[in-house]
Amino acid sequence: MNGATLHRVRIPRGASPTVRVGTDVRPDQVLAHHRRPGAPRHVPLAAPLHADPAHIAGLLVVSPGSMVAEGQVIARTDEGREVQAPTEGLLLGVAASDGSALLSPLGDEEPVIGHVRGTVAAIDESAITIEVPGVLIRGVGGTGSAVHGELAVAVHDPGEELRAAAIDVGATGKIVVGGSRASAETLTRARAMGVAGIVLGGVLDKELRDFEAIQRRRREVGGLTGSFGVLLVEGFGKVGIDPQRFAWFRAHAGRMASLFGADGLLYVYDAQLAPGRRTLPRVGERVIAHRRPFQGRAGVLVAELEDLHATPSGIPARMGLVRFEDGRLAPVPLANLEATLPVPPA
Amino acid sequence: MTVDERPEGIGAAPAEAEMSLLVDVGSAWTKAAAVARSRGRWRIVSHVAQPSGWGEDELRAALAARLAPVADRRVAERIADLLRGVPRIACHTPRRPGHIGLAAVSSELSGDAARRAAESAGWSVVEAATADDGRSLSARLAALQAADVDVWLLAGGFDEGRADQALEMAGLVAAARGGAPQPVIWAGAESLTPEVALLFEEGAVQSVANPRPSAHRENPLPLRLLLEEMLQRMVEPGGVRQLTPVSFRRGIAELARSSMRRILGIDLGAHYLTWVLADEAGAAESRVFADGGLASRSLIAQGGAGRLSRMLPLSIDELAVADALRNLHARPGTIPQTDDELAVTHAAARYLLTQASGDAGSVEGVDLLVGCGRTIAAAPRPAQAAHLLLDGVRPVGITQLAIDTAGALPPIGALDDSEIGEGMGVLRDDLLVPLGAAVVIRGGRPGQPTMRVAVHRTGWPDPAPIEVRGGSLQVLPLGRGQAAELEIELAGGVTLGGTRHGRRVRATVSGGAVGLILDARDAPLALPRRSEDRRAVLAGWRDTFLREPAQPVAVAP
Repeated sequence: MNGATLHRVRIPRGASPTVRVGTDVRPDQVLAHHRRPGAPRHVPLAAPLHADPAHIAGLLVVSPGSMVAEGQVIARTDEGREVQAPTEGLLLGVAASDGSALLSPLGDEEPVIGHVRGTVAAIDESAITIEVPGVLIRGVGGTGSAVHGELAVAVHDPGEELRAAAIDVGATGKIVVGGSRASAETLTRARAMGVAGIVLGGVLDKELRDFEAIQRRRREVGGLTGSFGVLLVEGFGKVGIDPQRFAWFRAHAGRMASLFGADGLLYVYDAQLAPGRRTLPRVGERVIAHRRPFQGRAGVLVAELEDLHATPSGIPARMGLVRFEDGRLAPVPLANLEATLPVPPA
Repeated sequence: MTVDERPEGIGAAPAEAEMSLLVDVGSAWTKAAAVARSRGRWRIVSHVAQPSGWGEDELRAALAARLAPVADRRVAERIADLLRGVPRIACHTPRRPGHIGLAAVSSELSGDAARRAAESAGWSVVEAATADDGRSLSARLAALQAADVDVWLLAGGFDEGRADQALEMAGLVAAARGGAPQPVIWAGAESLTPEVALLFEEGAVQSVANPRPSAHRENPLPLRLLLEEMLQRMVEPGGVRQLTPVSFRRGIAELARSSMRRILGIDLGAHYLTWVLADEAGAAESRVFADGGLASRSLIAQGGAGRLSRMLPLSIDELAVADALRNLHARPGTIPQTDDELAVTHAAARYLLTQASGDAGSVEGVDLLVGCGRTIAAAPRPAQAAHLLLDGVRPVGITQLAIDTAGALPPIGALDDSEIGEGMGVLRDDLLVPLGAAVVIRGGRPGQPTMRVAVHRTGWPDPAPIEVRGGSLQVLPLGRGQAAELEIELAGGVTLGGTRHGRRVRATVSGGAVGLILDARDAPLALPRRSEDRRAVLAGWRDTFLREPAQPVAVAP
């Protein structure tokens, strides 16, 4: 098992936590409640207080940002004139233009869900920190919201494109591991089929933008339900998942996972250590290359060249000689290589 | 430690030397220079750069490997260990930018002025709400409540009048902040200061001069200085001088003071871009763009790839440009390995420099322009560094160009006040690599003569004057250490900016790794609208920089 990781769940200011430090939480558990302020009401102050609208801020007896109860005095003059809150709400401030107070009634309670399993380690005004007993995979990009679901692998080969046809009803509610890319159409279909999230090696920037644009339009017309997240683990473009990492995903199909698209994080619970990555590979180690022309390709670092050597672009760099898995031997800047560390025996 | 300094590689005898390390730990790359005193003189004897994630041991090992061939053989094998104990002067990129929540009346006036002041002081605006942003009040409040901020910045209203909407926005921030301890800066209409202060608990609000006091005037400096001071106090309380944006400013200021020149220094890193303009007295003004480096979000924002594609001298598919920019953002410590990726990286650098130049798209009256950061200072060829600086900054006038190849300038700026002058003085010969001089004009019509330049060099026959046409540039040989007298005759409508108003200008320039660049491409750069024409023009400029400088034709005696 991997060691626990601390995960911070942001909560809006003013939210009320429903958990305490030490509480064990599930991914779908409500961690806090938040009441969004609704459309503000103008509560006249200047007229009832016989005051200059430009100076009513000085007559408030409640600070902006405070909750006020119905009937609570919100402004008072030295002469004893006062104005009470007509309803419960959040005092936003004053509108000096018409001499009124802005009082925002709070809406219904909305839940804050953490989407992670673990134990609450700390709570502060802006976040609840949870100790997550899972393996953390950091991506290089992503989009969408926090989701959780069972891991499922939908491609046979890590370099294969995830196609729309591979998404069926069996993928509903799951986090689907694809291959080297997915089109905007595939991502849209996955979302429509109720897939919780997608993990890919890479994706074309354009496909991701098109997908985001489709989601925006659907949100505007009100046809978007549920959450969905996408995580990229290797890079942008058509980039396959490293076969070693893909094998690990395959071995963990069926495990619960939490995906945070915009933050580029994936937690897999009850998992064996994932194959690690390390910068500055050593000779003999398996490596993965970043940046073109070898982006996403794996191989073995067979030698480190002495002195600096110019890349094809002309930049002098420390270079390594890599025997790629397709048999090619090529010099690659060491800065563009990461060692892929094998999974230690349990 | 002993260094056997053999400039020619052979024959010199070992000499006792003291040594120290200058280290600049960037967010993506760490630069280290070994400085040793040999035969009474301090020199930069070696320098290396590596991804910051590789760690200290690797850095020392790399430096040791570089030093071993020139070190006394008695210590050659122990250099890495010896380097562990040598004095170290270091600076580092801020560990994180400060986060600002901005509330303003107008997105284009007060909001824009406040945002630019904040970003140029090294802050990152994580949420901005303006009265004209099209959102409902409750949506604005919800966004501000969700923002994770270190400081709230309020702006709005002109100093001559009232802006009740500014008070409403202040109330919104008060509601979003809800009594949390983050400080609030009021940078709006002066007349509203007491009323804004009343909305918060005592001592929470600090007021500063309005960055947009009227519709036609901006005054961002007081806000920028306050925000710089707050950033240093709140986000990096450990040591201000060791922050690279600060030490770089101090280094440039000292360089300007000691050389009595007006110097513009630009440090383009992975995340930060620092812009420092220092005058002859050493007074420096800096702008720190926390998200202005090569991993900037502006490059991967909607339209970023298309914008950059139009600045490429090669035909590269816009989709590939977009992916390359995303990969640069995700892994800024990697190296562009192909010509295409280098072209995209350099286009990104030019764009970022242009953005940092501000609305004018050029600067005037700079004696020396210094480029720092890997992309500029470690460009494959010096001419590419000069190309980046000239395209990105457009220094109108006669300007010497140099790069900080060893990355030594920021660490020197981290020395304390009593040592910085000495440090700069002893390393003056090694600190910068001179690229040469550039004559950049403003004005002129494409294809028409804009300037005639006669280049006189002592001991050389006087060549015929060179005529440079609008939209073109020429690179002439002028080696490091060589000086030349220029006689420049400008065509009508063409200027060298600043106080040089005459049609005839004389100046003395010195050479460098690139030479003398006569640049008649206008400022800001004027490019054809048609994509094929534009690409051909850009490729022509690139080729001119990369060609061996042409010898001017000598005039027959």
